[in-house]
Amino acid sequence: MSLRHSYTATVERNVIWKGEFASEPYESAWASEAIFFVRALEVSPEFSGSACVQISADGIHWADEGTRVELPARKDQVTFCKVAHFGGFLRLAGTLAPGKSIKVLVSLALKE
Amino acid sequence: MSMAASDPRLSRFDPLERIIFYDDFDEGIRGWSELIGNYEHSLDSMLPEYADMRPPMLSNLTMWDTGSAGSMEGMYALKLASRARTGSLATSIKRLTFRKRGHIQLECYFTFKPEASELRLSLNDVRAFGVLFDLQDGMNPEYRWMPHLRYLNAQGGEMINRWQMKSATRAFSNIGDSGETVSHFHLGPEHWEYIDAPVQTLAYNEIATKMNWHYLRLNVDLAERRFLSFQCNDLKYEGDPLKYISIPAMPNLNCMLNTAFWVETNRDKRAFLYLDSVLLSGEF
Repeated sequence: MSLRHSYTATVERNVIWKGEFASEPYESAWASEAIFFVRALEVSPEFSGSACVQISADGIHWADEGTRVELPARKDQVTFCKVAHFGGFLRLAGTLAPGKSIKVLVSLALKE
Repeated sequence: MSMAASDPRLSRFDPLERIIFYDDFDEGIRGWSELIGNYEHSLDSMLPEYADMRPPMLSNLTMWDTGSAGSMEGMYALKLASRARTGSLATSIKRLTFRKRGHIQLECYFTFKPEASELRLSLNDVRAFGVLFDLQDGMNPEYRWMPHLRYLNAQGGEMINRWQMKSATRAFSNIGDSGETVSHFHLGPEHWEYIDAPVQTLAYNEIATKMNWHYLRLNVDLAERRFLSFQCNDLKYEGDPLKYISIPAMPNLNCMLNTAFWVETNRDKRAFLYLDSVLLSGEF
């Protein structure tokens, strides 16, 4: 019996997002499905914001995939989004309103 | 014919009598994880140099201009990718213990490149890559010791192309407030010494999207605590034993046999180290 490969990468850890942000590119060509989990380690007061999934053929040039994730609004809250059929590279990107910031731990759970 | 000679995946290696692990990354991530520093209560307690050593990934070496190359022997290689920030390190580690203090040998096929984000040669954009063992004696341990081998590709705007070793680490720092956790950063720019070996210019091949695979071998004697030799392609070093970091044994690391690879960028551009396959063999 062959089990499906799976792997979770911590693509951002203890990183503060404010203004324009993007997670580091992650190569995912071997996987057919993915979940981005975003956990808030700290948030600015009355925080709100979102990120979009971006895909890339080369890890350099990016396009919106169409999936969005609301970012967690309070400490230790977790939000997530699911994507499939994404080609080679994945990341989250977005822009937060002035004065808003969030310290995140972003996990990318991949499955064959 | 031995198994190693008759198996085309293994015949490119020269393993010692038993194979401890053979990692072909077509099979998956194979136990290679991101290196992280020690912490207590909060991630903020970590030494800042260890805070962001980047998760490894499985890459099919896809380039913007020519598409996918695949790995040397198959589709996927283990990829270490720094951030696009000068001095950023990506470090991946595999953690084992040993059952006999014998001779061990690490072999791998690797390649390295900067991210192909500019249409220029980019020859000196990767500062360095390297491999280390983190070892501690078994019963009644005296020492933790750490052989490091680094290829300094470039420093600033200067091409170096020399192999280095390291004989000292930074002072230990207490982490948190319990008195139970310490940490030391051993991959900083200090204490590197050139090995008495020639300049070795590894094939770069003109542009950032062409990769040539290279062979690397390290030999270490666990019983005598000696860093014996290394080979990269046609360069063989078999001179005086190489220097290594040595510190008093620590409380919970007996028989530790960790192997780590890293890559460091020389500019505000990502540096990549790719491993097609890694083989650790030994006498045990």
